[in-house]
Amino acid sequence: MFRAGLTVLKAPLVTLFAAIALAQSATAATPSVTAVLSNSSVAVGQAVEMQIRVSGGGATVPRDIAVDGLEIHQTGTSSQIEMQNFDISQKVTYSYTILPLKSGTFRIPPQTVKVGGSSLRTPELELTVTAGSSSGSMNSGHGNAPTGQRQNAKLAFAEILVTKPTAYVGEIVPVEVRLAFYSHARARLVEGPEIPSQGFTMQKLQAPDQPRMETISGNPYQVLTFKTAIAGARPGKFEIGPVQAGAIMIVPRQPGSRPRSSSPFDLFNLDDPFSDPFFTDPYSALGQQEKITLKSEPASVEVKPLPPNAPPSFAGAVGNFSLHVDANPKSVQVGDPITVTATISGRGNFDRVTAPALPDAKGWHSYPPSSKFKQDDDIGISGSKSFDVVLSPNERKDSIPPLEFSYFDPVSEKYVSLKSSAIPIHVEGEAPAAASPAASVQSSAAPAAAPSATPQVSAKPGEILSQLDERPLGAGSFTPLFLTKNFWLAQLVPLFVVIGLLIWRRQTARRRNASAVRIAALHREADDLRRKLRRDDSRPADFFADASRAIQIKTALMSNTDPERIDAAAAAKVLRADQNADERIRRIFDRRDELRYSGSSNGFDLLGPDEREQLIQFVEELAR
Amino acid sequence: MTRFIFAAALVAFFTVPAHADDAFAAANQQYVTGDFAKAAETYEELAKWGPGRSAPLFYNLGNTYFHLHDFGRAILNYERALSLEPNHPEAQTNLSVARDEAHALELAPTWRDSFVHFARPNQYAIGACVLFWIGAILLAIIGGRRPRRPLLTFLGLLCLGATALLVFLVYAIENGPRGARLAIVSRGETEARLATADTAANVLTLPPGSELKIEEQRGEWAYAFLPNGMHGWVPLRTIDFVRL
Repeated sequence: MFRAGLTVLKAPLVTLFAAIALAQSATAATPSVTAVLSNSSVAVGQAVEMQIRVSGGGATVPRDIAVDGLEIHQTGTSSQIEMQNFDISQKVTYSYTILPLKSGTFRIPPQTVKVGGSSLRTPELELTVTAGSSSGSMNSGHGNAPTGQRQNAKLAFAEILVTKPTAYVGEIVPVEVRLAFYSHARARLVEGPEIPSQGFTMQKLQAPDQPRMETISGNPYQVLTFKTAIAGARPGKFEIGPVQAGAIMIVPRQPGSRPRSSSPFDLFNLDDPFSDPFFTDPYSALGQQEKITLKSEPASVEVKPLPPNAPPSFAGAVGNFSLHVDANPKSVQVGDPITVTATISGRGNFDRVTAPALPDAKGWHSYPPSSKFKQDDDIGISGSKSFDVVLSPNERKDSIPPLEFSYFDPVSEKYVSLKSSAIPIHVEGEAPAAASPAASVQSSAAPAAAPSATPQVSAKPGEILSQLDERPLGAGSFTPLFLTKNFWLAQLVPLFVVIGLLIWRRQTARRRNASAVRIAALHREADDLRRKLRRDDSRPADFFADASRAIQIKTALMSNTDPERIDAAAAAKVLRADQNADERIRRIFDRRDELRYSGSSNGFDLLGPDEREQLIQFVEELAR
Repeated sequence: MTRFIFAAALVAFFTVPAHADDAFAAANQQYVTGDFAKAAETYEELAKWGPGRSAPLFYNLGNTYFHLHDFGRAILNYERALSLEPNHPEAQTNLSVARDEAHALELAPTWRDSFVHFARPNQYAIGACVLFWIGAILLAIIGGRRPRRPLLTFLGLLCLGATALLVFLVYAIENGPRGARLAIVSRGETEARLATADTAANVLTLPPGSELKIEEQRGEWAYAFLPNGMHGWVPLRTIDFVRL
C-alpha cells in the first residue's frame, strides 16, 4: 500500500523538484562564459578539443567557427546542475573539435554566446600548430565533418570519426568508432564493431577498457570508443564504413504487452523513448531483451597520390621520422660480422618502414635484416622500429658508410632523406688475394641486394660451364619413393607373408587348444570312474564297464589315441603289463562284454566283495 | 589384338629413350655452337617430358641459363639436378657460383636439418619398410605363444620403434626447408610482402635464385617462409618449385 502510494506520488514529486531547480537556475547568479582548449600546442592533423562553458543556463552558440587553417565543428553538448548551499546553478558545456590543417600560431577569435537575454563573449584563444608530430595523445571527437549521424531519439547509435578528410597514399589517419548506449538501458555489445573499407589498409581495432559517460543532446550515454588507423592504398576518394555492431539491450516491453503509463517528461505525448518510466525506474516493470544493430553513416576520405621523384631509398614510409644508427663491435677482422642497429622513431605507417639502405656497399657483405617494433600508442602509429643489419667487411675499412632512409612528410608535402653519419671502425687483416666472382659482381650490383651466405667459390664461370654429354638410361623422378604406386604395391608381398603367418599361428593354437580340452575331459572322466568303482551298490555290468573304461582312458592318455579304439591287448601293450596283469586286463574286458551282450546274469552273485576290492586296487594301480 | 598392343609397347619402350637421347644431343650441340636460347628451349622441352628428366639434363639447362645471365633459372635447375642426384659435384659447384653471382638468399639450415639429411628420404623410406616388416613378422611369429620370447619381442618392438623414427625423419625432410615445398625465385628480383597486394608493405627483397619454403597458396600469391626467418607473400608467377 505504502509502496503503491509512493509510486503514485513519484511523478508529481520529480516534476516539482525539476520545476524548483529550473526556477532556481533562472534566478541564480549572473550568467558567465569561458572557453578552453584541451591542448594549446599540437601537430598538423592532430585534433584538439575546445569547450565553451556557460554557467547560468542554456545558451545559443555558433555551430561552426571559421578560422583560416583550422576546421572547427561543434561535436556535442553536456550539462550539469550543481547545488551549493541551496544555490542551484546549471552549467552547459559545448564541445568543439579543431583540426589544424597547417602549421603556425592561430588565434580563435571571441565568440558571441547568447544566454537568456544577454550576449556574452568568450576569451580569445591561441593554438600553436607544429609541422612535426606531437607526443600528445589523439583527441577524441571528429574533425572535418561529423561523419556519423547521431540520432538523438535513439537509445543507441554508432558513428565513425575520421580526423582528416584528405591524406596521401600510405599516410596514417587515426579513426575512432564510437558506440553510444543510453545509460539507463542496460546494454551489452555482442558483435563487432566491423568497419568495411576498400582502398585502405587498417590497423587492428583497439577496444576500450571502460565505457565513458557522456551527455549527448541532453541525454546521458555510455560511450565505447574504439580506435584504429587507416592508410590509403591507392589514390582516389573512398568511403569507410558504415560501421556495424550488434548489441543486446534491455528495453521496455512493447506497448501491446504492457500498457505504458504516461511519463511526467512526455508532456506533449511525443512518444519519446527516453520518457518511458522504465528508464527512470527499471524495477517498476520488467523489460525485455532485444538485439539491436547499430549502423553509422559512412565517412569519406580523399587519398592523394604521392608526388613523383621519390628518392631511391624511399620504400613507402609516410609520416615524420628520425634515424639513429649504432654499430657493434667496432674493432673486427676482415670477414667478421658487425651488427649495425638502425632505429627509426616517429609517427607514421611503420608497416612500410624498411631497413635503411647502404648506398655505398663496396667492400661489404650485408645480410638480411631483422626488425622489431615498439609502439608508443594503442594503434601502432607512433613508436620506434629498430633494424639489426649484419655487415661483414671484405677488406680493410675505417668506417661504416652512412645508411640512408627516406620518407614522405605529409605536412611539408616533401620527401625527406635521413642519412646517418659514418661510424668509425677498425678492421684488421687482409682481403682475399683473388677476387671471387661473387665479390666482383657485388661491387657493381645494386646495394640493396643481400649476398648469399654460401662460401665463396673462386672458380670462374667460363671454366665450370661445360656440358655433360651422357644421359642416364632411366628417367629421374622428383616424386619420393613412398608416394609412388609401385612402392605400395610392393608392400603387398610382406603383407601376405605376415597374414599367412598369422593364419598359421591361429590354426596351430586352435589345434593345441582342442587337444588340451580333450585330455582334460579324459582326466575328468577317469576321476569320475574311480569314484564310481568305489560305490558298493553298482551292478557288476556297470562295474566292469567302468573298470574297462578306466583302463581305456589311462591307455588313451598315455598313447594319445581315442579310448574307444583301445582293446585289452592294446591296453596291456601300452601299459606294459606283465603276464598276470595282462590276464587280469583281458578278464575285465571279457567280463564287460559278457555282461553287456549276453544278458545272462545281472545278479550281484557274480562279483564278490573281495574280488571287487581286488579289481579296484588293480585298476587304481594301473591308473597311477 | 594382344600381339599388336605388345608390339606397340615394345616399340614405345625402345623409341622413347632414343628420342630423349636425340633431343639431349641436339641441345648439347646448340649449346656448343653458342645458341644458348635455342639450347635452353630444347632442354626445357625435354624437361617437361617425364621420361626425359635427369640430373645431367637439369645441370646442362642450368649452365645454359648461366650463360644467358638468367641466374634465377640457373639456380633453379642446379637445384633440380641436385634433387635428383644430391651428390652431383658439378651441380654443387655451379650452384654455389651462381648464388654468389645473383646474391641469392638461402634458407637458413636448422640443427635438425644437419641431422635428418644424413641420408635421402627414399633411403629412409626403404629402411623404414624393411624394419617395419621385420618387426611385424617377428611379432606375428611370437604372437600368442606362451611362454613369451622376450628377446624376439624386444627385437620386434625395436624394429617398429626404428620404423617410427625413420618415418619421422622422412616427414621432417619433406616438410623442412629443403623438402617438397622448396621453391626458387626464378623470374628476376621479387618482393615478399605482408599481404596479397602489390602495394602491401615489403618484408624482404628477394634476389633471383633465392630459396623459399611455400606454406600456402592463395590465388596468385604464395605464403612463404623467407630466408630471413620471416614470412611473406610472394607472387606465384615469380617462383618455381624445385620438384616438378
